[in-house]
Amino acid sequence: MKFIERFSFAERASHWISALCFLYAAFTGLALWSPRLFWLSGVFGGGETVRAWHPWAGLFFAIALGVMFRRWAKEMQLDEEDQVWLSKSALYAQNIEEGIPESGRFNAGQKMMFWLQSASAFFLLLSGVVIWFPEVAPRSLRLIAVLVHPASAAVSLVGIIVHFYMSTMAVPGSMGAMVRGKVSEGWARSHHGKWYREVTGR
Amino acid sequence: MPATTVAKLIDTSLCIGCKACEVACQEWNEQEFTLGVFNNTYQTLPDLAPNFWNLIKFNEQVEDGANSWLMAKYQCMHCADPGCLKACPAPGAIVQLPNGIVDFRQENCIGCGYCITGCPFDVPRLSPTTKKVYKCSLCSDRVGAGMTPACIRTCPTNCLTFGSRTDLVELAAQRTEELKADGFQDAGVYDGPGVGGTNVLYVLKHASAPEKYGLPKDPRIPWTVSLWKGPLKWVANAAFLGTAVGALLHYLKFGPKETHDDEVH
Repeated sequence: MKFIERFSFAERASHWISALCFLYAAFTGLALWSPRLFWLSGVFGGGETVRAWHPWAGLFFAIALGVMFRRWAKEMQLDEEDQVWLSKSALYAQNIEEGIPESGRFNAGQKMMFWLQSASAFFLLLSGVVIWFPEVAPRSLRLIAVLVHPASAAVSLVGIIVHFYMSTMAVPGSMGAMVRGKVSEGWARSHHGKWYREVTGR
Repeated sequence: MPATTVAKLIDTSLCIGCKACEVACQEWNEQEFTLGVFNNTYQTLPDLAPNFWNLIKFNEQVEDGANSWLMAKYQCMHCADPGCLKACPAPGAIVQLPNGIVDFRQENCIGCGYCITGCPFDVPRLSPTTKKVYKCSLCSDRVGAGMTPACIRTCPTNCLTFGSRTDLVELAAQRTEELKADGFQDAGVYDGPGVGGTNVLYVLKHASAPEKYGLPKDPRIPWTVSLWKGPLKWVANAAFLGTAVGALLHYLKFGPKETHDDEVH
């Protein structure tokens, strides 16, 4: 079996740093989301520690995501074939392959995920800074931030649940792509045909 | 026997601005006074502080061509529907006692400051040194021992009265009538109906303009806080669960995507 490099070391490093920071921020965020979930704070260092570290985890998540954004923003632009792909996404979800255009390095669904996560992270960062310093931030901003922050977090989390499902269960081989950076030729041809031909020249 | 809801009545028309209540509060609660800035008023500090829970606001007015003060004691209002409690993520950090007192328990506080945003009266203050939030406890320790809150115990003019809320609502109505008989037609009671009623009641000479006293006109829990802690929470929880269950069902129905002919080429 031959292998193709799918993600460089820099891509994998920024992805996993952001993922770890995201997970800490997400679980501690859930702890602060409702008193019923506050027990989660005990798992992640206790209430005061969670209050102190959640913003830092969020900040490092945003920085790592920023690295990914700089690297990928251009190739994440949706083209006309992506529009066709999106219109056929119901077929994709049912694992029907006929009628769906071949994807480049990222398919249109992944591109949508990228923009969804980038946008929600942007709003999370802005509102998060406001919530971080309640004694400094003006009340009017805080009143908006306490709504924007959980709302964007919810959008982001729903997206991440899908992302997690796709990578661990729905598309075998994608975890290896992000961990070791390599995929088999058959995998590349099956899931990202256009990218396979670009890379191999076949 | 259900606990009686306790209350504090502040008859602003009787306040002489002696600040004895401020001192009593500081002493009983063992607060160290931190000097503020002098900004050309008789007011002790510009605002409440983590170690200063009770402030007489010296609101300067020009009435009938003469300068005057509208004194208003400013502290936690002990709302029946407390915005601080609604916003607080840490169980037990803010408690509403059966007698209506809203008390902060610093040992459970994580210092997020959400209560500051949730409070319609902008009362809680975050200490930069302890990273905990503080405010008037209506001397819950004294009240629990059958005593009167320190500020009320020390007030020399009967501007402050402590008792059951029912009794004080009656007294407030009576004082309002007396003020009206004295020619203050605008006199009235300020008790925050928008937050389910407050357990700190004011008698104001100018009840139609509480902002003259530094009090919000129609105090309510901010709608963004209500939306965040109400509908948004349920929509988001449903979305989390729905997505996770949906993913599981999807896998059961369609299974994983297949990779073709890895061995052929």
